[in-house]
Amino acid sequence: MTAEALEARPVPTADWVTIPDLHRNPFPIFRKMRDEAPVHWVPAVNRYMVTSYEACHIIENDQELYSANETNSLMKRAMGHSMLRKDDPEHDVDRKSYGSVLRPKAIKEHWNAIFQANSDKYLARFKAAGPGADLIREYAAPYAAENLRLIMGFHNATQEDMQRWSQTMINGTGNYADDPEVWAASEQSYNEVDDAIDEILPYLRKNPDSSLLSGMTSMPIPLEAIRANMKMTIGGGLNEPRDVLGVAVWALLSHPEQLDRVLADTSLFPAVFEESVRWVAPIGMYPRETTRDTVLEGVQLPKGARLGVVVGAANRDPKVFEDPESFNIFRAKKPHLAFGGGNHYCAGAWVAKASVAGIALPQLFAELPDLRLDPAQPAVDAGWVFRGMTSLPVLWDNNK
Amino acid sequence: MAKISFHHSDGNVDVLDVDPGTSIMRAAVTNGVDGIIGECGGQAMCATCHVYVRPEYLDGLPGIGDDEEEMLDCTTEERDGDRSRLGCQLKAGEAFDSIEVDLPASQI
Repeated sequence: MTAEALEARPVPTADWVTIPDLHRNPFPIFRKMRDEAPVHWVPAVNRYMVTSYEACHIIENDQELYSANETNSLMKRAMGHSMLRKDDPEHDVDRKSYGSVLRPKAIKEHWNAIFQANSDKYLARFKAAGPGADLIREYAAPYAAENLRLIMGFHNATQEDMQRWSQTMINGTGNYADDPEVWAASEQSYNEVDDAIDEILPYLRKNPDSSLLSGMTSMPIPLEAIRANMKMTIGGGLNEPRDVLGVAVWALLSHPEQLDRVLADTSLFPAVFEESVRWVAPIGMYPRETTRDTVLEGVQLPKGARLGVVVGAANRDPKVFEDPESFNIFRAKKPHLAFGGGNHYCAGAWVAKASVAGIALPQLFAELPDLRLDPAQPAVDAGWVFRGMTSLPVLWDNNK
Repeated sequence: MAKISFHHSDGNVDVLDVDPGTSIMRAAVTNGVDGIIGECGGQAMCATCHVYVRPEYLDGLPGIGDDEEEMLDCTTEERDGDRSRLGCQLKAGEAFDSIEVDLPASQI
């Protein structure tokens, strides 16, 4: 027997964990689990939840042992078989089809100007809504949605369509309860996205632009894969930048000393972004499945184990981050796992950084004097698989 | 086997013997060498495997490709026009048989 096997222990069960509790505030639950063991079997979630940084990092970097192509995937049902649920080499073919559309050079040369125009548009709309307005509904959501609409090339849809498609398909992906109404709404969006793709591809062949769909028209990738990857991107590239934007504003408004430092030195906005996305990872958990019996950080796992890689918990591991539950933009820099790691590292990471840290956050704080939380309407954060502000009413001095 | 020497700013050196085909980034990550992250797993999109190749090893290295060139302008620490490379793009046995690199102060 190997030394590792001798030290390995059976996976503990966390039967006290409930989904409503996770949804309200997962962090005390993550902390209790992580303090006890790096992995727990969680009956309510029907997954082995991995909460330590080290264990999550190991999983991300070993796709052979920890496969993304999990059995009975809800995401595959809701969106089709996208790259997110494939391993290499199949995954790499899909990934390469995104070309350089989302990379830093394309962002500098093309997308930043579009992000700026969209931020101008929705900030004007937000100002018109007046103090007391919800920053998520009136600015962050349409901003993220319109950015993604143009990045993807859906000239035949609206940003409202994008938001609806995103939320209904995400709900389908999370439909553990097998709610038929959730499936119905998800399926309707699935079909609408397919129709939109079918309609726009011929147009983009004749009128190529910088978008993802335009790039696809010249890539060696089957239509079925395009369909699934576009749905995955709608699910992965809208709520998430919206959510980090909301959390960043809420965090700064809740930490006045840090806010003062940022207002005095706007080169700090990238640090604000990184700390926000660490503190409340927009995607808190994603799945993997073991391909054989193994021992992970001293815990025995069977072949075929359905894992939840809880990066929301890993990002607050005290072994890596000092005083991890606190929001602190000046903390010692350690790499967080909010964008994942390895071959599935978020393809939209640079888009998120540019659109949120580079444009939206600086502009919000520059153009809304004395931006502050509304004491009469509390801000609300929610979720655990996806987490962000569901409501962020703010005030500012409208007279300046 | 090929040899990679990682020079840290405090004077310490990690020396690894690696199989052919192993990138500088993969060697560091697999062996727990501090100072290289390799967030994107070697896709030349995160710029967190930045290394400064020691001058005597620059000759014979493969040229910098388009993706690598783009990412070398995104590194946290300043780019050295001659010495900066992405560790994920340099593979043992292909790019080098022996190499020494200095690690930047930070990758993020």
